[in-house]
Amino acid sequence: MDKVLSTLISVGVTVALSLALWVGANVLFDQARNNWRRFNAVAGAVVGFVLLSILHGNRLLVAVGPGPDAVGTLAAFVWPAALGAATFGSTAWYLSGVDGPRHRLIAGIATGTVVGVVVGALLRSAYRPGFDLAALAIWTAALSGLGALISTRRGRPAVHGALVGAALGSLLGGFGSAELGAGNMVGAIAGATFPAAAFGARIGLTNNADERGRARIDSGSRAYIFLVPSLFFITAALVVPTIRTIYLSFLDDRSENWVGIGNYTDVFTSKTSFDISNWPDIFTSRLFYLGTAMLIAGLAVAISTKKRDGRAVELGGPSIAPLAIAAGLLVFATFSVLRGTIMNNLWWVFTVTVVSTALGLAIAVLADNTRFESVAKALIFMPMAISLVGASIIWRFMFIARDSSKNQTGVLNSAWVGLGRLSTGRGIPTLLASVALGIVFLALAVKVARLLTTGKLTSLPIPMFALFLVGWAWVRFVGLVGDGLGGVVISSDGEVIAKPVLFVQEQPFNSVWLMLILIWIQTGFAMVILSAAIKAVPAELLEAAQVDGATESQVFWRVVLPQIATTIGVVVTTLIVLVMKVFDIVKVVTNGNFGTDVLANDFFAQAFQFANRGRGAALAVILFLSVLPVMYFNIRKMQQEDT
Amino acid sequence: MVNAAYRFLRSLPTWALWAIVFLWSLPTLGILVNGLRPRDGQRSTGWWTVLGDERGLTLENYRTVVEASSTTNLFDAMLNTFAVTIPATVIPIAIAAFAAYAFAWIDFPGRKGLFIATVSLLAIPLQVALIPLLQLYVSGAHLTLPILNKTITLIPDLDLAGTTTAVWLTHAGFALPFAIFLLHNYLSQLPGDLFEAARIDGADHFTIFWRLVLPLSVPVLAAFGIFQFLWTWNDFLIANTMAGSNPDALVMTIRIANLAGDFGRNEHLLPAAAFVQVAVPLAVFFGLQRHFVRGLLAGSVKG
Repeated sequence: MDKVLSTLISVGVTVALSLALWVGANVLFDQARNNWRRFNAVAGAVVGFVLLSILHGNRLLVAVGPGPDAVGTLAAFVWPAALGAATFGSTAWYLSGVDGPRHRLIAGIATGTVVGVVVGALLRSAYRPGFDLAALAIWTAALSGLGALISTRRGRPAVHGALVGAALGSLLGGFGSAELGAGNMVGAIAGATFPAAAFGARIGLTNNADERGRARIDSGSRAYIFLVPSLFFITAALVVPTIRTIYLSFLDDRSENWVGIGNYTDVFTSKTSFDISNWPDIFTSRLFYLGTAMLIAGLAVAISTKKRDGRAVELGGPSIAPLAIAAGLLVFATFSVLRGTIMNNLWWVFTVTVVSTALGLAIAVLADNTRFESVAKALIFMPMAISLVGASIIWRFMFIARDSSKNQTGVLNSAWVGLGRLSTGRGIPTLLASVALGIVFLALAVKVARLLTTGKLTSLPIPMFALFLVGWAWVRFVGLVGDGLGGVVISSDGEVIAKPVLFVQEQPFNSVWLMLILIWIQTGFAMVILSAAIKAVPAELLEAAQVDGATESQVFWRVVLPQIATTIGVVVTTLIVLVMKVFDIVKVVTNGNFGTDVLANDFFAQAFQFANRGRGAALAVILFLSVLPVMYFNIRKMQQEDT
Repeated sequence: MVNAAYRFLRSLPTWALWAIVFLWSLPTLGILVNGLRPRDGQRSTGWWTVLGDERGLTLENYRTVVEASSTTNLFDAMLNTFAVTIPATVIPIAIAAFAAYAFAWIDFPGRKGLFIATVSLLAIPLQVALIPLLQLYVSGAHLTLPILNKTITLIPDLDLAGTTTAVWLTHAGFALPFAIFLLHNYLSQLPGDLFEAARIDGADHFTIFWRLVLPLSVPVLAAFGIFQFLWTWNDFLIANTMAGSNPDALVMTIRIANLAGDFGRNEHLLPAAAFVQVAVPLAVFFGLQRHFVRGLLAGSVKG
């Protein structure tokens, strides 16, 4: 409980301080318009306080105060800062009340000199510069020249820029290029006084702001006050780290030597991330045969519809389903053979995106205007609220595979082994199931025969496909081929032994079981968005189509689907980006073992476990580049919707 | 007979829908039930046999998981999770609201370009920023000046690695582009006449923001707050990177993942542990469904 309390207190203090700072900045700039002198005094004091705090806090100044190490105590820390605040504040207060140019100049230079002398005198001996006079002269001359040039280009007196340039140049030349700690106190005082006096002179050269100038300070400052907190955070947390990661990806594992694109070539040549050596196996897999058969059937149908009504492929047409099934089968045939993290990532992106979108669309259509629609949709959407880690644990219990002698406690294996026991059984249930499956098989066969005799060849592929699958299941179930359908084997002495599926370990389809977890989560997302889009299709359009005699499926394919095409695009692109970065599931379920590794998990392992920073950075950059086109497309679209 | 068959076929989609709903709820139902079953029960039979199981139900697993003294307890992890989620939700809301207001209603040079640049940062995957950020928390930020060959310290080493502070700071930074985008969309839709009238009455931006904009934008702040709370509550990657090595700073997701990696020793505690972690988001989901869906859908663009 202490921990929460202390956290809450520290968070409360942080928030209150930040808020006070922010409100204070607002209040301060409120003064600019009507209380010009007060505004100047406070602003000057703040600048002085911050400047001296930085110098003192970084232990650049000698500790002056009670005790041996006076920086540590609050009082010792505060008094130089308070002195700075007082000096700067009073100068600013004085300047804001004086309009005479000579007085202003003198006050500016005087304050600068005083500050410079004090800082120089207090500077720790380790920081006293041993001047390199040539460098000092070159830096000062170069930067003051540059400043003068900039000032002239902007239509201001050249001396303004020259003074700022000289101050910066003498700082850089005096402290930057010198050997620190080699000089004496006189040098330190000189080195600090010159830039300070130059700055002071520059400030003394300004005119007191008039009424309009004060108003401009008041309103012009607001944007920065409102933006600076966010921009600071964004720069520190996103912009700079991204640039640095790109830089690190060209260095070796300890970020010491430049290796060019070596990390990238390592990624693409290593067997673990990119292994296509088994590619001939693609053409011998069952998936490939089935896919090719469907492809041929689909093409045949496409050619015949092209002859009949001029269109080979159209939404809701007879050729689209066999072609889609063929594409899915062939992609699976390919990805189950080509191994490695990159291939796995692509497989994930394809499967999860396609299945989630299609299933989400199907559920949205099924649920549309049914009773208890919101309950059904809420239950499907619910996994979106669950963490990926939680979902992985939940599915771990679905995937449990236990020794064949024990009860299966996982739902999936229990059902699978149960099916096997049913198919190898001798009782009434087995008989009934065999008969039922046989009836389905016969019904499909009759349907196919009728299609053949009536010549409706274009509708043939899908019933043929179903007939094939059911027929295969049937011959397996009744034991004509193999040991029965389901998770059993029959030993040599005729005993039925359970053979559960090792969902997590059995390559290559264990990856697909992991994908199922993400599909379980993301289908709800696709469903909610697509359901909203379907409900937004204008009712007049649907009525008009019905009046014209369109069937329900024609209305869906020809009216609804084109209307929601953009939304489908949004869902697909969002899912692609999300799936590309999949990490938690793989990390928790397999930790990348058993051939399930993906880019983001490899990144984590390389960067934070194997201390291979260059490789990790390169993987992060690859991830970044692979989502960039999609994100670019998405953001462009958001911008267009915005305007 | 024919009519009955026809009606059955017509109702098929509804049946299919409820079959899917059933399948979808099954995994969650499974851990809910298993979390309430004793160790022996979980290990010998499936959770669906619970009704005929004489071992019955127990709260023992939940007690073990939540008890502060137990070695596998989630209680500390839950406190850590709160220590991360609360600041990671509150702080981005505040500072993103300032920025969104500036982008929507304050005229300044370069406004549009800066806004597009900010929103474009949505495209950056978190992974890209993690290595340098961890380095920042471990050793601060230092810049070596190229020509002068001197190193200056931009951000000192604040010793943040392995603390919940590092985790919520990271979350806060990553949340900003999305928060600004979401709040800006909403704020820019507010009626400009209202602000004009307030301006004429002498109100400055600060007053307008405080008195008008904040009260008007409660719905979008709530939507973002819910989204960000769940995002940080469910996060695994950032917490694991920034504080995964410190056993005292683990959040719940990491604790549970570690529990799962224990090779089955505490397998019987996993359902209860997972359910504790999942219960809060589910409560938010069922309690605040409308805000939740709005926030989550808006958040789907987040990088």
